Amino acid sequence: MKPTGIITSAVLVGVASAALAHSGATGIVKERMDAMSAMGKAVKQVAPMMSGETAYDADTVRHAAETIGMHAGDAMTRLFPDGSAGMPSVAKDAIWNDWESFAGLAEELHRYAEGLALAADNAPASQSDTMSNTSVMMGGSDMMGANSMMGSGDMMADDTMGREELAEMPANAVFAKVSDTCSSCHTRFRAKVK
Amino acid sequence: MRRVLAGVAVLALSGTAAIAALVVWPIGRPPAEIELTGDVQRGAYLARASGCIACHTNFEDGGAPLAGGAPLETPFGVFYPPNITTDPEHGIGDWSLSDFAMTVRQGVSPDGEPFFPAFTYPFYADFSDQDVADMWAAFQTVAPVTNPAPPHDVGFPFNQRWGLKLWRALFMHDPQTEPVEGKSVDWNRGRQLVRGAAHCGACHTGRNLAGGRMPDAVFAGNDDLPGGNKAPSILSDDLADRGWTVANLSYALQSGVTPSGDVFGGSMGEVVQNGTRFLSKSDSKAMAIYLLDSDVPERRALAGTPSIGKTID
Repeated sequence: MKPTGIITSAVLVGVASAALAHSGATGIVKERMDAMSAMGKAVKQVAPMMSGETAYDADTVRHAAETIGMHAGDAMTRLFPDGSAGMPSVAKDAIWNDWESFAGLAEELHRYAEGLALAADNAPASQSDTMSNTSVMMGGSDMMGANSMMGSGDMMADDTMGREELAEMPANAVFAKVSDTCSSCHTRFRAKVK
Repeated sequence: MRRVLAGVAVLALSGTAAIAALVVWPIGRPPAEIELTGDVQRGAYLARASGCIACHTNFEDGGAPLAGGAPLETPFGVFYPPNITTDPEHGIGDWSLSDFAMTVRQGVSPDGEPFFPAFTYPFYADFSDQDVADMWAAFQTVAPVTNPAPPHDVGFPFNQRWGLKLWRALFMHDPQTEPVEGKSVDWNRGRQLVRGAAHCGACHTGRNLAGGRMPDAVFAGNDDLPGGNKAPSILSDDLADRGWTVANLSYALQSGVTPSGDVFGGSMGEVVQNGTRFLSKSDSKAMAIYLLDSDVPERRALAGTPSIGKTID
């Protein structure tokens, strides 16, 4: 190769890698960011229904649940292969250091999303402020269990409710499990928000 | 030359005397004996809201409840939230209710030493005797854990506890949790939680180089949190600009879900997971009502630069 050729290649490689670095996420990192965004969009649609801000619509909830379910479980974990950390990804190394927990949460999300799709027809439980007492009781029992302030440390309640049980619950209660799972996972495994 | 030496000697002596004075300077007021009976459930609720459980439990490593929290990495060193279970040796099992009251409301340990302000006691100063008795009753139900938490890893000079007495004199101020006349019950309840128990300002208020919260940066956000975390501004106008409403903010405190459909991670994720999601609906709504209409001073041009002065939240 002539010297000019070498220089041209070097310049081209330089330009190409600069472009790559500046184009943000690519490949599998982009793929999982898109999947997260799709779930976020679904959550954005139904959250106001669950909080009572907008009218409840069972079809929208079912669709949103299916979208979340589609991106959860194995569909999620396969987007986190070894060595895919680092900028621009906000995935923490903890994902690969504690793969079992990460995969467990992904699977839990899948189960809850399926449950939510089945529970979509169950109107949300009362949203009025009179709910607060019930809510205190629920919080209370979680905190103290029968015998102590905190039970035996199982306050994260890694309950193993099956789809059938979830299907019987009010939709907002199942959605709360979905969002709790998102929150647990982001808290442990996502480096930072923006 | 002799005069200079004499001067140095005088300075050294007066410096030593000042430190000696600080060392023996008694802090805290012994509280009047509390003879109220505590309500376990109310106390556990308040302990949740106040972050006792969130901070003193190492959830990530599967630690026992209140047996010691995840390390807090700060510019001053690494703080290890201690074991506050009922174990008499490694926890607080041999404390009296008065010891507990003094600790929570004044940040002074049973042996009269000031606690590091990594412990957010300045926010709890207005807790009533009943609040303290309730929490104490709830703490009695916690199973003892016989392992100590690691000691704080704080280097000189921050490991000199007498220095904290100066810090207290400069930066400690009562939280503003008393009811404000002419405001609604919900707003006042929200203020009590936000400025007090829930201690939002611990992260969302800027701090000066000495770690004191800056009066002109209340709720204006903090980009320099332990562990590299950032807390955005929670000034009312900024919250409204970012799309927050009473409805979606109170729902976010319950669920972690934000108006964009994202779900909190990082330190706010922990706050929701281990704290605010246990609040009653009416309490999280009250917090949102207050936050979107809060009575903090306008952000000044100075915000973000270190300043010395009393903090006000």
